[in-house]
Amino acid sequence: MKEINDLNLPDDVKYTKDHEWAKQDSDTVTVGINDYAQDQLGEIVFVELPEVGDAFSEGDEFGSVESVKAVSEMYIPISGEIVQINEALEDAPELVNESCYDNGWIIKVKPDDVSELDNLMDKAAYLDMLKG
Amino acid sequence: MPERLNLSKRSAVFMDLGLLEYGKALDIQIQTLHSKINKSVKEDWIFFVEHPPVFTLGKRGGEENLVVSRDFLTAKNVGIVQTDRGGNITYHGPGQAVMYPIVDLGKNKIGVKDFVHGLEEIMKLTAMDFNIDADRNQRNHGIWVRNSKIGSVGISIKKGISFHGLAMNINPDLEPFSWINPCGLTNVSMTSIEKEIKLSANNYDLSDYDLAMERIKNAFVKHFSSVFNYSIIRNNDYSKKTKKQQAVVA
Repeated sequence: MKEINDLNLPDDVKYTKDHEWAKQDSDTVTVGINDYAQDQLGEIVFVELPEVGDAFSEGDEFGSVESVKAVSEMYIPISGEIVQINEALEDAPELVNESCYDNGWIIKVKPDDVSELDNLMDKAAYLDMLKG
Repeated sequence: MPERLNLSKRSAVFMDLGLLEYGKALDIQIQTLHSKINKSVKEDWIFFVEHPPVFTLGKRGGEENLVVSRDFLTAKNVGIVQTDRGGNITYHGPGQAVMYPIVDLGKNKIGVKDFVHGLEEIMKLTAMDFNIDADRNQRNHGIWVRNSKIGSVGISIKKGISFHGLAMNINPDLEPFSWINPCGLTNVSMTSIEKEIKLSANNYDLSDYDLAMERIKNAFVKHFSSVFNYSIIRNNDYSKKTKKQQAVVA
Protein backbone atom coordinates (compact mmCIF):
# COMPACT_ATOMS: atom_id res chain seq x y z
CA MET A 1 0.00 0.00 0.00
CA LYS A 2 1.10 3.57 -0.65
CA GLU A 3 2.45 5.63 2.21
CA ILE A 4 0.05 8.38 3.26
CA ASN A 5 2.45 11.03 1.95
CA ASP A 6 2.48 9.40 -1.48
CA LEU A 7 -1.31 9.54 -1.93
CA ASN A 8 -2.73 11.73 -4.67
CA LEU A 9 -5.35 13.82 -2.82
CA PRO A 10 -6.43 16.86 -4.86
CA ASP A 11 -7.37 20.05 -3.02
CA ASP A 12 -10.44 20.73 -5.17
CA VAL A 13 -12.54 17.73 -4.11
CA LYS A 14 -14.24 16.76 -0.84
CA TYR A 15 -13.70 13.41 0.89
CA THR A 16 -15.89 10.94 2.81
CA LYS A 17 -14.85 8.68 5.67
CA ASP A 18 -15.49 5.74 3.35
CA HIS A 19 -12.88 7.07 0.89
CA GLU A 20 -15.14 8.44 -1.84
CA TRP A 21 -14.57 11.89 -3.33
CA ALA A 22 -17.13 14.44 -4.50
CA LYS A 23 -16.71 17.53 -6.65
CA GLN A 24 -19.28 20.12 -7.61
CA ASP A 25 -19.40 21.13 -11.28
CA SER A 26 -22.14 23.70 -11.96
CA ASP A 27 -25.43 21.91 -11.14
CA THR A 28 -24.13 18.35 -10.67
CA VAL A 29 -21.76 16.63 -8.26
CA THR A 30 -19.27 14.09 -9.64
CA VAL A 31 -18.40 11.15 -7.36
CA GLY A 32 -15.67 8.54 -7.41
CA ILE A 33 -13.38 6.62 -5.08
CA ASN A 34 -10.12 8.23 -4.04
CA ASP A 35 -6.48 7.24 -4.45
CA TYR A 36 -6.32 5.59 -1.01
CA ALA A 37 -9.34 3.43 -1.86
CA GLN A 38 -8.18 2.34 -5.31
CA ASP A 39 -4.69 1.57 -4.00
CA GLN A 40 -5.77 -0.60 -1.08
CA LEU A 41 -8.43 -2.39 -3.18
CA GLY A 42 -5.91 -3.61 -5.75
CA GLU A 43 -6.73 -4.30 -9.38
CA ILE A 44 -10.39 -3.49 -9.98
CA VAL A 45 -12.07 -6.01 -12.29
CA PHE A 46 -15.70 -4.87 -12.17
CA VAL A 47 -17.69 -1.79 -11.23
CA GLU A 48 -21.36 -2.23 -10.41
CA LEU A 49 -23.10 1.01 -11.36
CA PRO A 50 -26.56 2.33 -10.46
CA GLU A 51 -28.99 3.37 -13.19
CA VAL A 52 -29.60 6.90 -14.38
CA GLY A 53 -32.72 8.14 -12.60
CA ASP A 54 -32.07 6.19 -9.39
CA ALA A 55 -32.44 8.36 -6.27
CA PHE A 56 -30.36 7.94 -3.13
CA SER A 57 -30.03 9.51 0.30
CA GLU A 58 -26.63 10.53 1.60
CA GLY A 59 -24.78 7.48 2.91
CA ASP A 60 -26.75 4.90 0.87
CA GLU A 61 -24.96 2.14 -0.99
CA PHE A 62 -25.03 3.11 -4.66
CA GLY A 63 -22.82 0.46 -6.23
CA SER A 64 -19.79 -1.71 -5.65
CA VAL A 65 -16.34 -2.44 -6.97
CA GLU A 66 -14.84 -5.91 -7.26
CA SER A 67 -11.11 -6.39 -6.91
CA VAL A 68 -8.92 -9.38 -6.04
CA LYS A 69 -11.96 -11.58 -5.14
CA ALA A 70 -13.43 -8.86 -2.92
CA VAL A 71 -16.67 -6.95 -3.44
CA SER A 72 -16.61 -3.54 -1.71
CA GLU A 73 -19.68 -1.34 -1.40
CA MET A 74 -19.59 2.36 -2.29
CA TYR A 75 -21.60 4.98 -0.39
CA ILE A 76 -23.05 8.13 -1.91
CA PRO A 77 -21.75 11.35 -0.36
CA ILE A 78 -24.81 13.46 -1.17
CA SER A 79 -28.57 12.92 -1.55
CA GLY A 80 -29.95 13.22 -5.04
CA GLU A 81 -30.66 11.63 -8.39
CA ILE A 82 -28.16 9.87 -10.66
CA VAL A 83 -27.98 11.88 -13.89
CA GLN A 84 -25.01 10.15 -15.49
CA ILE A 85 -22.91 7.02 -14.95
CA ASN A 86 -19.43 6.38 -16.32
CA GLU A 87 -20.30 3.74 -18.91
CA ALA A 88 -16.65 3.42 -19.92
CA LEU A 89 -16.11 1.48 -16.68
CA GLU A 90 -18.23 -1.40 -17.94
CA ASP A 91 -15.48 -2.37 -20.39
CA ALA A 92 -12.56 -0.72 -18.64
CA PRO A 93 -12.92 -0.94 -14.84
CA GLU A 94 -9.16 -0.45 -14.56
CA LEU A 95 -9.75 3.26 -15.26
CA VAL A 96 -10.62 3.57 -11.56
CA ASN A 97 -7.10 2.41 -10.67
CA GLU A 98 -5.40 4.42 -13.39
CA SER A 99 -7.26 7.72 -13.11
CA CYS A 100 -9.58 7.77 -10.13
CA TYR A 101 -10.33 11.53 -10.26
CA ASP A 102 -10.63 11.92 -14.04
CA ASN A 103 -11.45 9.10 -16.47
CA GLY A 104 -12.27 6.80 -13.54
CA TRP A 105 -15.11 8.93 -12.12
CA ILE A 106 -18.15 6.81 -11.28
CA ILE A 107 -21.42 8.80 -11.10
CA LYS A 108 -22.81 12.30 -11.52
CA VAL A 109 -25.56 13.31 -9.11
CA LYS A 110 -28.14 16.10 -9.26
CA PRO A 111 -28.10 16.99 -5.56
CA ASP A 112 -31.23 17.61 -3.52
CA ASP A 113 -29.29 20.05 -1.35
CA VAL A 114 -25.79 20.93 -2.42
CA SER A 115 -24.98 22.28 1.03
CA GLU A 116 -24.65 18.63 2.16
CA LEU A 117 -21.19 18.84 0.62
CA ASP A 118 -20.21 21.05 3.56
CA ASN A 119 -20.44 17.95 5.78
CA LEU A 120 -17.59 16.28 3.89
CA MET A 121 -13.89 16.59 4.68
CA ASP A 122 -11.33 18.72 2.93
CA LYS A 123 -7.92 17.25 2.19
CA ALA A 124 -6.43 18.26 5.55
CA ALA A 125 -9.28 16.76 7.57
CA TYR A 126 -9.24 13.58 5.48
CA LEU A 127 -5.48 13.21 6.00
CA ASP A 128 -5.99 13.65 9.75
CA MET A 129 -8.57 10.83 9.67
CA LEU A 130 -6.20 8.53 7.78
CA LYS A 131 -3.39 9.22 10.23
CA GLY A 132 -5.66 8.96 13.28
CA MET B 1 3.37 -13.07 35.18
CA PRO B 2 3.71 -13.93 31.52
CA GLU B 3 7.20 -13.41 30.22
CA ARG B 4 6.06 -11.03 27.53
CA LEU B 5 2.88 -9.01 27.42
CA ASN B 6 0.91 -9.19 24.20
CA LEU B 7 0.85 -5.61 22.97
CA SER B 8 -1.18 -6.30 19.85
CA LYS B 9 -4.11 -3.90 19.63
CA ARG B 10 -5.89 -6.18 17.20
CA SER B 11 -7.98 -8.91 18.73
CA ALA B 12 -10.72 -11.26 17.63
CA VAL B 13 -12.98 -13.93 19.05
CA PHE B 14 -12.70 -17.28 17.29
CA MET B 15 -15.74 -19.57 17.24
CA ASP B 16 -16.27 -23.01 15.72
CA LEU B 17 -19.81 -23.29 14.34
CA GLY B 18 -19.43 -27.00 13.62
CA LEU B 19 -21.26 -28.41 10.61
CA LEU B 20 -23.80 -25.76 9.73
CA GLU B 21 -25.93 -25.03 6.67
CA TYR B 22 -24.57 -22.26 4.46
CA GLY B 23 -27.61 -20.03 4.93
CA LYS B 24 -27.55 -20.28 8.72
CA ALA B 25 -23.84 -19.48 8.83
CA LEU B 26 -24.48 -16.53 6.53
CA ASP B 27 -27.19 -15.26 8.91
CA ILE B 28 -24.66 -15.37 11.77
CA GLN B 29 -22.14 -13.46 9.65
CA ILE B 30 -24.69 -10.81 8.66
CA GLN B 31 -25.90 -10.35 12.25
CA THR B 32 -22.31 -9.93 13.43
CA LEU B 33 -21.55 -7.54 10.57
CA HIS B 34 -24.56 -5.35 11.37
CA SER B 35 -23.70 -5.38 15.09
CA LYS B 36 -20.24 -4.15 14.20
CA ILE B 37 -21.55 -1.50 11.78
CA ASN B 38 -23.91 -0.11 14.44
CA LYS B 39 -21.10 -0.47 16.99
CA SER B 40 -23.01 -2.67 19.43
CA VAL B 41 -20.20 -5.23 18.98
CA LYS B 42 -16.66 -3.92 19.09
CA GLU B 43 -14.50 -7.00 18.73
CA ASP B 44 -13.75 -8.74 15.48
CA TRP B 45 -15.07 -12.29 15.05
CA ILE B 46 -13.71 -15.26 13.16
CA PHE B 47 -16.12 -18.11 12.43
CA PHE B 48 -14.84 -21.58 11.57
CA VAL B 49 -17.37 -23.88 9.92
CA GLU B 50 -18.02 -26.82 7.63
CA HIS B 51 -21.08 -26.76 5.39
CA PRO B 52 -23.28 -29.60 4.16
CA PRO B 53 -22.90 -29.88 0.36
CA VAL B 54 -23.83 -26.64 -1.43
CA PHE B 55 -22.76 -24.58 -4.43
CA THR B 56 -22.48 -20.82 -4.04
CA LEU B 57 -22.35 -18.14 -6.72
CA GLY B 58 -20.40 -14.89 -6.53
CA LYS B 59 -22.10 -11.49 -6.74
CA ARG B 60 -21.57 -11.51 -10.48
CA GLY B 61 -22.90 -15.04 -10.75
CA GLY B 62 -21.21 -18.08 -12.14
CA GLU B 63 -24.13 -20.40 -12.87
CA GLU B 64 -22.85 -20.55 -16.46
CA ASN B 65 -19.95 -22.49 -14.96
CA LEU B 66 -22.23 -25.21 -13.67
CA VAL B 67 -21.55 -28.11 -16.07
CA VAL B 68 -24.40 -30.34 -14.89
CA SER B 69 -28.13 -29.60 -14.94
CA ARG B 70 -30.13 -28.18 -12.07
CA ASP B 71 -32.13 -31.42 -12.12
CA PHE B 72 -28.94 -33.39 -11.56
CA LEU B 73 -28.18 -31.28 -8.48
CA THR B 74 -31.75 -31.65 -7.23
CA ALA B 75 -31.39 -35.43 -7.54
CA LYS B 76 -28.14 -35.21 -5.58
CA ASN B 77 -29.87 -32.96 -3.02
CA VAL B 78 -27.31 -30.18 -3.42
CA GLY B 79 -28.57 -26.59 -3.57
CA ILE B 80 -27.21 -23.44 -5.21
CA VAL B 81 -27.09 -20.17 -3.27
CA GLN B 82 -26.58 -16.70 -4.75
CA THR B 83 -24.19 -14.63 -2.58
CA ASP B 84 -22.72 -11.14 -2.67
CA ARG B 85 -19.07 -12.15 -2.27
CA GLY B 86 -16.34 -11.67 -4.84
CA GLY B 87 -15.35 -14.49 -7.16
CA ASN B 88 -17.32 -17.08 -9.12
CA ILE B 89 -19.03 -20.42 -8.44
CA THR B 90 -17.60 -22.74 -5.80
CA TYR B 91 -18.50 -25.84 -3.83
CA HIS B 92 -18.62 -26.34 -0.07
CA GLY B 93 -19.02 -29.67 1.69
CA PRO B 94 -18.00 -31.64 4.77
CA GLY B 95 -14.24 -32.04 5.02
CA GLN B 96 -13.64 -28.51 3.77
CA ALA B 97 -12.50 -25.98 6.39
CA VAL B 98 -14.23 -22.63 5.95
CA MET B 99 -13.28 -19.48 7.82
CA TYR B 100 -15.31 -16.27 7.87
CA PRO B 101 -13.45 -13.32 9.46
CA ILE B 102 -15.76 -10.42 10.33
CA VAL B 103 -12.96 -7.92 10.66
CA ASP B 104 -12.93 -4.11 10.76
CA LEU B 105 -10.37 -3.56 8.03
CA GLY B 106 -10.80 0.22 8.18
CA LYS B 107 -10.15 0.55 11.89
CA ASN B 108 -7.25 -1.90 11.76
CA LYS B 109 -5.83 -0.24 8.66
CA ILE B 110 -5.66 -3.45 6.67
CA GLY B 111 -6.06 -2.88 2.92
CA VAL B 112 -8.41 -5.17 0.99
CA LYS B 113 -5.60 -6.38 -1.27
CA ASP B 114 -3.40 -7.15 1.74
CA PHE B 115 -6.26 -8.89 3.54
CA VAL B 116 -6.94 -11.25 0.62
CA HIS B 117 -3.19 -11.89 0.32
CA GLY B 118 -3.08 -12.67 4.05
CA LEU B 119 -6.01 -15.11 3.82
CA GLU B 120 -4.12 -16.90 1.05
CA GLU B 121 -1.01 -16.90 3.23
CA ILE B 122 -2.93 -18.62 6.07
CA MET B 123 -3.84 -21.48 3.70
CA LYS B 124 -0.32 -21.67 2.31
CA LEU B 125 1.17 -21.93 5.81
CA THR B 126 -1.45 -24.49 6.83
CA ALA B 127 -0.52 -26.68 3.84
CA MET B 128 3.14 -26.29 4.73
CA ASP B 129 2.35 -27.59 8.24
CA PHE B 130 1.61 -30.90 6.44
CA ASN B 131 4.78 -30.66 4.28
CA ILE B 132 2.68 -29.72 1.25
CA ASP B 133 4.31 -27.23 -1.06
CA ALA B 134 1.43 -24.85 -1.83
CA ASP B 135 1.57 -21.38 -3.32
CA ARG B 136 -0.19 -18.70 -5.32
CA ASN B 137 -0.65 -19.24 -9.06
CA GLN B 138 -0.92 -16.72 -11.88
CA ARG B 139 -4.10 -18.42 -13.11
CA ASN B 140 -6.19 -17.17 -10.25
CA HIS B 141 -6.32 -16.11 -6.64
CA GLY B 142 -6.41 -18.77 -3.96
CA ILE B 143 -3.78 -21.35 -3.11
CA TRP B 144 -2.55 -24.06 -5.41
CA VAL B 145 -0.47 -27.24 -5.30
CA ARG B 146 1.17 -27.47 -8.72
CA ASN B 147 -1.79 -26.92 -11.07
CA SER B 148 -4.49 -28.02 -8.65
CA LYS B 149 -6.39 -25.66 -6.40
CA ILE B 150 -6.52 -26.46 -2.70
CA GLY B 151 -8.00 -23.25 -1.25
CA SER B 152 -10.17 -20.36 -2.40
CA VAL B 153 -10.94 -16.82 -1.24
CA GLY B 154 -14.02 -14.68 -1.75
CA ILE B 155 -15.00 -11.74 0.45
CA SER B 156 -17.31 -8.75 0.70
CA ILE B 157 -16.79 -5.45 2.46
CA LYS B 158 -19.45 -3.18 3.90
CA LYS B 159 -18.49 0.01 5.75
CA GLY B 160 -14.91 -1.24 5.89
CA ILE B 161 -15.88 -4.54 7.57
CA SER B 162 -15.18 -7.88 5.88
CA PHE B 163 -17.42 -10.91 5.64
CA HIS B 164 -17.33 -14.20 3.72
CA GLY B 165 -13.75 -15.56 3.65
CA LEU B 166 -11.76 -18.63 2.69
CA ALA B 167 -12.36 -22.33 2.07
CA MET B 168 -9.64 -24.99 2.15
CA ASN B 169 -10.04 -28.62 1.14
CA ILE B 170 -8.89 -30.91 3.92
CA ASN B 171 -10.52 -34.29 3.20
CA PRO B 172 -13.77 -33.59 1.34
CA ASP B 173 -15.33 -35.61 -1.47
CA LEU B 174 -13.81 -33.75 -4.46
CA GLU B 175 -16.27 -35.14 -7.01
CA PRO B 176 -18.77 -32.22 -6.80
CA PHE B 177 -16.02 -29.88 -8.00
CA SER B 178 -16.14 -31.78 -11.30
CA TRP B 179 -19.74 -30.58 -11.73
CA ILE B 180 -18.52 -26.96 -12.07
CA ASN B 181 -15.70 -24.94 -13.57
CA PRO B 182 -14.40 -23.86 -10.15
CA CYS B 183 -14.01 -20.09 -9.85
CA GLY B 184 -15.03 -19.87 -13.51
CA LEU B 185 -11.84 -21.58 -14.69
CA THR B 186 -11.91 -24.47 -17.16
CA ASN B 187 -9.56 -27.44 -16.88
CA VAL B 188 -8.85 -26.88 -13.23
CA SER B 189 -8.53 -29.84 -10.94
CA MET B 190 -9.06 -29.52 -7.23
CA THR B 191 -6.98 -31.15 -4.58
CA SER B 192 -7.05 -31.54 -0.82
CA ILE B 193 -4.64 -31.96 2.06
CA GLU B 194 -5.65 -35.64 2.21
CA LYS B 195 -5.03 -36.21 -1.49
CA GLU B 196 -1.63 -34.51 -1.39
CA ILE B 197 -0.61 -36.53 1.66
CA LYS B 198 -1.48 -39.74 -0.19
CA LEU B 199 0.41 -38.59 -3.30
CA SER B 200 3.51 -37.74 -1.33
CA ALA B 201 3.25 -40.79 0.92
CA ASN B 202 4.20 -38.76 3.95
CA ASN B 203 3.35 -39.86 7.43
CA TYR B 204 0.37 -37.71 8.38
CA ASP B 205 -2.76 -39.57 9.22
CA LEU B 206 -6.05 -37.83 8.46
CA SER B 207 -8.19 -40.90 9.01
CA ASP B 208 -9.56 -39.53 12.27
CA TYR B 209 -11.99 -36.98 10.86
CA ASP B 210 -12.46 -34.89 14.01
CA LEU B 211 -8.76 -34.84 14.83
CA ALA B 212 -7.85 -33.73 11.31
CA MET B 213 -10.28 -30.81 11.41
CA GLU B 214 -9.13 -29.89 14.92
CA ARG B 215 -5.55 -29.64 13.69
CA ILE B 216 -6.62 -27.44 10.79
CA LYS B 217 -8.59 -25.22 13.16
CA ASN B 218 -5.55 -24.79 15.39
CA ALA B 219 -3.41 -24.03 12.34
CA PHE B 220 -5.87 -21.37 11.14
CA VAL B 221 -5.87 -19.68 14.56
CA LYS B 222 -2.08 -19.72 14.77
CA HIS B 223 -1.52 -18.43 11.24
CA PHE B 224 -4.30 -15.81 11.36
CA SER B 225 -2.70 -14.50 14.52
CA SER B 226 0.79 -14.27 13.01
CA VAL B 227 -0.18 -13.08 9.52
CA PHE B 228 -2.44 -10.25 10.71
CA ASN B 229 -0.86 -9.62 14.12
CA TYR B 230 -4.00 -10.52 16.10
CA SER B 231 -4.46 -11.87 19.57
CA ILE B 232 -7.23 -14.44 19.30
CA ILE B 233 -9.61 -15.51 22.03
CA ARG B 234 -11.10 -18.98 21.58
CA ASN B 235 -14.82 -19.05 22.28
CA ASN B 236 -16.60 -22.20 23.38
CA ASP B 237 -17.53 -24.30 20.42
CA TYR B 238 -21.03 -23.68 19.15
CA SER B 239 -21.91 -27.32 19.22
CA LYS B 240 -20.57 -30.03 21.46
CA LYS B 241 -21.58 -32.72 19.01
CA THR B 242 -18.75 -34.17 17.04
CA LYS B 243 -18.71 -33.37 13.38
CA LYS B 244 -19.10 -37.05 12.59
CA GLN B 245 -22.37 -37.19 14.52
CA GLN B 246 -23.60 -34.03 12.85
CA ALA B 247 -22.63 -35.33 9.42
CA VAL B 248 -24.73 -38.43 10.04
CA VAL B 249 -27.68 -36.27 11.12
CA ALA B 250 -27.27 -34.07 8.05
